[in-house]
Amino acid sequence: MAMRDLVAGGAACAVPGSSSSNPLGALANTLLGSSSKTQERLKEIPIATATSSENRFFQDVEDPLRALPGAEFEQQPFPRPGGQGSEFLRGFRSADQNENGLADAWDEIQRSHVHPPPQANIPQLDHVYNRGPQLQPTLDGPPQRVLSNFLHSFVESSRGAIPFHPAPLPLLGLSEGDKQCIRDRSSIMARHFFADKSEDFINAQVNALLSSLDIDSDVHVKGPLPGRFRELEDYWNESQGSLRPGPHAADGWIAEFNQHRLDRSDPDAWAHAFERQHGANGWASEFEQEQQLASMDQMRGVNVPNLAAMEQTRMLAHTLSQNNDPKFQNSKFLQFVSKMSRGELIIDDNQVKPAAGPSDWATEYQQQYTRGTSWADEYVRDEVSRGPDRWVNEFTTEGEQNGSVDDRWVNEFSKLHVNDWVEEFGQQVEKGELGDSSADNWANAYDEYLNERVAAKRQSEASGGDYVFSGMNPYVGHPNPLKEGQELFRKGLLSEAVLALEAEVLKNPDNAEGWRLLGIAHAENDDDQQAIAAMMRAQEADPTNLEVLLALGVSHTNELEQAAALKYLYGWLRNHPKYGTLATPELADSLYYADVARLFNEASQISPEDADVHIVLGVLYNLSREYDKAIASFQTALKLKPQDYSLWNKLGATQANSVQSADAILAYQHALDLKPNYVRAWANMGISYANQGLYEESIRYYVRALAMNPKADNAWQYLRISLSCASRNDMLEVCDSRNIDLLQKEFPL
Amino acid sequence: MAAELKSESVFDLLKRFLETDEGIELRKKINLVYQFNIAPKKIGIDEVSYTVNLKKGEVNKGPYEGGKPDATFSLKDEDFVKLAEGKLNPQIAFMRGTLKIKGSLSAAQKFTPDIFPKPSKL
Repeated sequence: MAMRDLVAGGAACAVPGSSSSNPLGALANTLLGSSSKTQERLKEIPIATATSSENRFFQDVEDPLRALPGAEFEQQPFPRPGGQGSEFLRGFRSADQNENGLADAWDEIQRSHVHPPPQANIPQLDHVYNRGPQLQPTLDGPPQRVLSNFLHSFVESSRGAIPFHPAPLPLLGLSEGDKQCIRDRSSIMARHFFADKSEDFINAQVNALLSSLDIDSDVHVKGPLPGRFRELEDYWNESQGSLRPGPHAADGWIAEFNQHRLDRSDPDAWAHAFERQHGANGWASEFEQEQQLASMDQMRGVNVPNLAAMEQTRMLAHTLSQNNDPKFQNSKFLQFVSKMSRGELIIDDNQVKPAAGPSDWATEYQQQYTRGTSWADEYVRDEVSRGPDRWVNEFTTEGEQNGSVDDRWVNEFSKLHVNDWVEEFGQQVEKGELGDSSADNWANAYDEYLNERVAAKRQSEASGGDYVFSGMNPYVGHPNPLKEGQELFRKGLLSEAVLALEAEVLKNPDNAEGWRLLGIAHAENDDDQQAIAAMMRAQEADPTNLEVLLALGVSHTNELEQAAALKYLYGWLRNHPKYGTLATPELADSLYYADVARLFNEASQISPEDADVHIVLGVLYNLSREYDKAIASFQTALKLKPQDYSLWNKLGATQANSVQSADAILAYQHALDLKPNYVRAWANMGISYANQGLYEESIRYYVRALAMNPKADNAWQYLRISLSCASRNDMLEVCDSRNIDLLQKEFPL
Repeated sequence: MAAELKSESVFDLLKRFLETDEGIELRKKINLVYQFNIAPKKIGIDEVSYTVNLKKGEVNKGPYEGGKPDATFSLKDEDFVKLAEGKLNPQIAFMRGTLKIKGSLSAAQKFTPDIFPKPSKL
């Protein structure tokens, strides 16, 4: 197992909420990088849970104000890892057999929290929290202990600017990559710690560390950077090429970093402010250290691109300020740009955020704490619905996500092609090509950008192809949720049916019928993403189910995913008892649209009375956008199956897509006569009205659809467009806050 | 079947739409020529060009041949679909660099998600 994994194994657990727990892991993480092999991390989960979950649970029960750093330890020292931790674990592990295990374990922790504090008696914690005489710890034991202790003592040496003494270490077996990481990071870190010290002092400190670890002590990195950084170098040079004569990436960082420090009036202010506020007791200091390390990570991750962006926006702000139009001068966009250029706003993870200035620091800290609470809530909720296996999976994926931070910011950075648009924009402003309305437009865009962030967040929760369960489900625990779900579905209560069916598939994850009906309900509720996710599970459980294959073909067609749609429609044919013989096995490898269409035409000749074949043909013609043929196929099918409401909707949608909106509306009306709660048909109605320029009408239909399923994201987007096209900007805010009651009142049908 | 861009469907729908009364209104209102360079994965790589001529009401595959388009947009296939469906604001996409614009910005500003008809769902 790699050194990194040994040291950093537990750290991933500490990251999602606050970063207060497991400082050891986080430190090592900072130093060694957080990428690690999933398998190995998986093995370590129980341990990681034990050490980090305790701290977190304590935070949850405390009210947020009391949950200041150090506060919990004033009242009660550290939980004994052997105590509640393992009890919790026992409960956790037994959850498979005993459904109450988790609840008990949870209660156990809640109760024991009130008990008198146990003694803290484990050496590692002693070392970390008791800042006593043992500044230079004894360096023996397993390698990962030695390394982390050693690195800690290096970090501590910064506290009093004590010269760091090299120490003989046992053989640690660090890989070249690890050494490289330590070398790079420690030299940068040292500049952070010892900002007020001379360059010589810093070099001496770093050299002492490196020589003890048997690492080439040249602070200025020689030779090629390891893979991860090489990418950075490219991006850096690419973006900075014109500005400076391409210094070495690592040097560039350091210089850039120092420069950034100067940008802030008092570089140490925030650290001191924190100390003043929370006292300099051991734990708090440790935490501060942590945060410094964490912010180092942020420096690496965010500020380098930000500085580039700032430089560019400064140019932009200058250009814009040349424009004398008072309207423009007062525009939010200009304010936005100048804020960016002054570094008051930063772009982080594709979001514009206010930069954390010295005084904001504590606030941010508190926010992190608050997040800790929601983490626990989420955890409890998840446990109820998912069971431990799920949790473990999720944990590992989360770990992986955190592990990829390095890659992510490199990507992020590459996205910031600020140069291009700034130049473009500047030129256009100079030429006076922008009309009067442009300032307002840009200002609005900025406002919308903020909204979009919210939407994007929601989107990212739903995407990824995995089925997303509802948070609170009253049907969990229902004796027969499948029957209930079928009943609700028949009554047309789609959103209720979804909940009941979710309860069913939680109880019986291999129930193909449960998943299938759930998928159908989502499709009728106008949510193809969830429909696909559910249908995929249905197909897993029952790979040859024709209805499932057809539904997958339809949903992928709706999502414009041709290849996938074709695959499932062909699967339908191949698994059909009557037409399966038509399918030639060699076709499966390379599906061509024309071949599949030909096979279905053959099938329709074998049995022209089979409505299903015509339906699939209709879908296929939609894929190739031969709408006239598609319409003919659906009309044939409707003669055979006139009561099929979804077929009427398919006909309508096809007519709408071939811009026969008036016909489409008639077809939708048929569908809605047969199934009044058919959300998809209501939403499609709205689309057809909107495409005819009848925006006011379209709004009413969108609102109706949304009243039945507020989770229909497409309809919300379309409603927004229709509102602005109908000059009902007064209702945009109501739309953005998704206030369906008010919308219904305003736009009754 | 060769992987087709999702955007193809959107352009096809727009093409049909421009022949309707509502589409003719739109042409009069905007009266500009846009070129779109759609990339399957990354901007600038394997781009497919489409010309949306709102002066003549035509949508064609390929770059604009009648001179210089009023504005040229470069973006990814996926982002274009989001843009057309109103899920992505063009100005924001531009700020982020996921949408690149060449040509007149005032022409580009007339390009809004509501010029695209919305696809209906089967």
